[in-house]
Amino acid sequence: MNPLIALMVIIPITCALLVNLFHTKDKTVKILSIVVALFLPIIPLFTSYGLHYFGGYMTLAQSPVLSQWVPASITNSALNIFHMGIMYSFGSAQQIFIVALGIIAFLAILTSLSETKKASGVYAFLMFMGVASMSAVILTDDIFNFYVFFEIIAIAQVGIVIASKVKGNLEAALKYMIIGGIASPLLLLGIALLLGVTGNVNITDIVYSIKTGLVNPQSPVLLMACALIIFGWSYAAGLPPFHTIKSEIYSRALPHGAALLQAFSVFTLAAVGIVILRIFSYLAFSKVIIIALSLAAMILSITMALMQTDFKRIIGYLAVGELGYIGLGLGIGTSMSITAGLFQAVNEAIITAFLFIGFGTVLYLTKESDIRKLGGMMVHTPKIALLVLLAGLAMAGVPPLNAFQSKLMLIQSSLNAGIPELGIIMILLSIVTFMTFMKAFYAIYMRSKPKGLKISNSKIPKATIFSLVVFLIICIMLGLFPQIVTNYLQPLATSLI
Amino acid sequence: MIIDSQLASFFTAAALIIIGLYAALFLDNIIKKIIGLAFIGDGANLFIITMGYKAGGIVYIFLPDMTVNWFAQNASYPLPFALVLTSIVIGASTLAVMLALVIVLYKKYGSIKASKILGAKQNQETENSIKGDGL
Amino acid sequence: MIEYILMIVAVLGAIIALIQRDLLKAAILTGISGAAIAFLYQFLLAPDVALTQAIVGTAIVPVFIALAVKKTRSMEED
Repeated sequence: MNPLIALMVIIPITCALLVNLFHTKDKTVKILSIVVALFLPIIPLFTSYGLHYFGGYMTLAQSPVLSQWVPASITNSALNIFHMGIMYSFGSAQQIFIVALGIIAFLAILTSLSETKKASGVYAFLMFMGVASMSAVILTDDIFNFYVFFEIIAIAQVGIVIASKVKGNLEAALKYMIIGGIASPLLLLGIALLLGVTGNVNITDIVYSIKTGLVNPQSPVLLMACALIIFGWSYAAGLPPFHTIKSEIYSRALPHGAALLQAFSVFTLAAVGIVILRIFSYLAFSKVIIIALSLAAMILSITMALMQTDFKRIIGYLAVGELGYIGLGLGIGTSMSITAGLFQAVNEAIITAFLFIGFGTVLYLTKESDIRKLGGMMVHTPKIALLVLLAGLAMAGVPPLNAFQSKLMLIQSSLNAGIPELGIIMILLSIVTFMTFMKAFYAIYMRSKPKGLKISNSKIPKATIFSLVVFLIICIMLGLFPQIVTNYLQPLATSLI
Repeated sequence: MIIDSQLASFFTAAALIIIGLYAALFLDNIIKKIIGLAFIGDGANLFIITMGYKAGGIVYIFLPDMTVNWFAQNASYPLPFALVLTSIVIGASTLAVMLALVIVLYKKYGSIKASKILGAKQNQETENSIKGDGL
Repeated sequence: MIEYILMIVAVLGAIIALIQRDLLKAAILTGISGAAIAFLYQFLLAPDVALTQAIVGTAIVPVFIALAVKKTRSMEED
């Protein structure tokens, strides 16, 4: 029993409620948000690994008081070792994910508080709510609890889009909700089929029932459940056929909101991908589907990014395209490739947030996001231009930045697994990613300034520059010493195969 | 009856999901799309409830005059029911957010046709700029 | 026997609600379908879910839809 594990979810939720309570008291909200956001990455560092049982309900075998009541026909069966309540499991991989999520959340909240004049409002509330449910999705070991928080994330994402007054945000939000209204009941059906076959919603117990043959692993119902859960997964993460709507959602949010939204997608992709691998890895075709979806995501999104003219849309598509690398890592299914995929998840969440907040300064100064109307920003903000360039290099996988390490690991693992084609596609798409990024970068920063463009004289807030520098430091750190993260991800990856 | 009530209930759930999917995908009116989404949710909930049903069983309430063994063999399975309680509430709240969005969008477009509201994307793409301070 | 009737009512209610041209009628018919499902839950040995569904499905959802219809236009356009 470790109470700190539950606190990772409870603290952001409490803070979200308090932010609502102190509505209109801007100063209080600002201080409260920053202090709590600072705690988000710190708590997991001091939490010891273990399991948390809500309500103290463990298994029948572990609670002698309860098992006196239960007839022997139950205590002698496998039910004796099944978990009764909701269970959170906190291991080294979860620790890394929540620390990364906490850092991104802290910097996004800091930037949003400094770039907007009014601190109080639904925006901070939604950000904290999203972070809380994201932590819960990463931690939870109960597939229905996972569904509940999955829905809360969806609503929080839509809320962040609605609260940012960007043109066309309401239409995108409604579209996303209608698609979500179709996809999440289907995910629920998948969970229901699993529940129907195994009689359980605890993932550890489901895996136990399948592995030990308590249920027939080749049962067609399980295949159907796998298909439905993968469908819901691709909705949550933005894999095809949902890549268009996902990138639209990013581009209709304010940059600091988008930085957090993409972190939610990346970590949902990783967390749910782990669940799918844990339950369905014995089905060979599940990995084939994951690889196919990821390849489609990479190719479709990165080529779509080439054609866009709105820089938020370009980064949105690139972010969705980069998700494909994570999926490929999970789909290849060796210990090394899964480690690489999860490492790529951490890297990508950080780099895309870096890019969104970096390009967000352009939006802050000019109120314009169409690259055809922009230009000459290099003269105004040379330091930020350099930081954004480094972020783009990191995304494309240039050494010594972090995505280089993870992409290298991915390519090596695809070679080791005997699928060199995937490695070639990954290298090619990295080049296209870089090309797309350079196109946007050239248009915004290097080209001479168009006549109609008005650049406001207001200074870029210090908090924004601070966030960018922190992101850069993390990128370089992880690029030089990838062991910091991979050593923590390795145990989970090994346990999955 | 030809089929037992559990199977018939599964068919009802399937019918609701299919009707809802049809409405959500093919009807042009946004309010009807949303009604369709509510039916999909209802169908999924009914499916889960039906899984916990036990023909000839009793409600899962332990009364003092029952023995533990008899109860374990005859009661319906309560776990799915606990899940559906949560799921119903989630469905209702999502529905409320969607309807609120429809009302706001109606003021902008003067129409609730999906082809007008959601199809009007492309011409906005070019003039996508931020409206002001942000929040 | 009665559960079969309820199932037919639930499905028919859903279909009729979706083919209405008057959206206010569609909202009310959603309630009928919801009520049938609530009674069905009672027959499927889930009384507590039936209570929740009775409130949400027959009161809250139709009222929400009816309010949205009131605020927008009540007839489906061509």
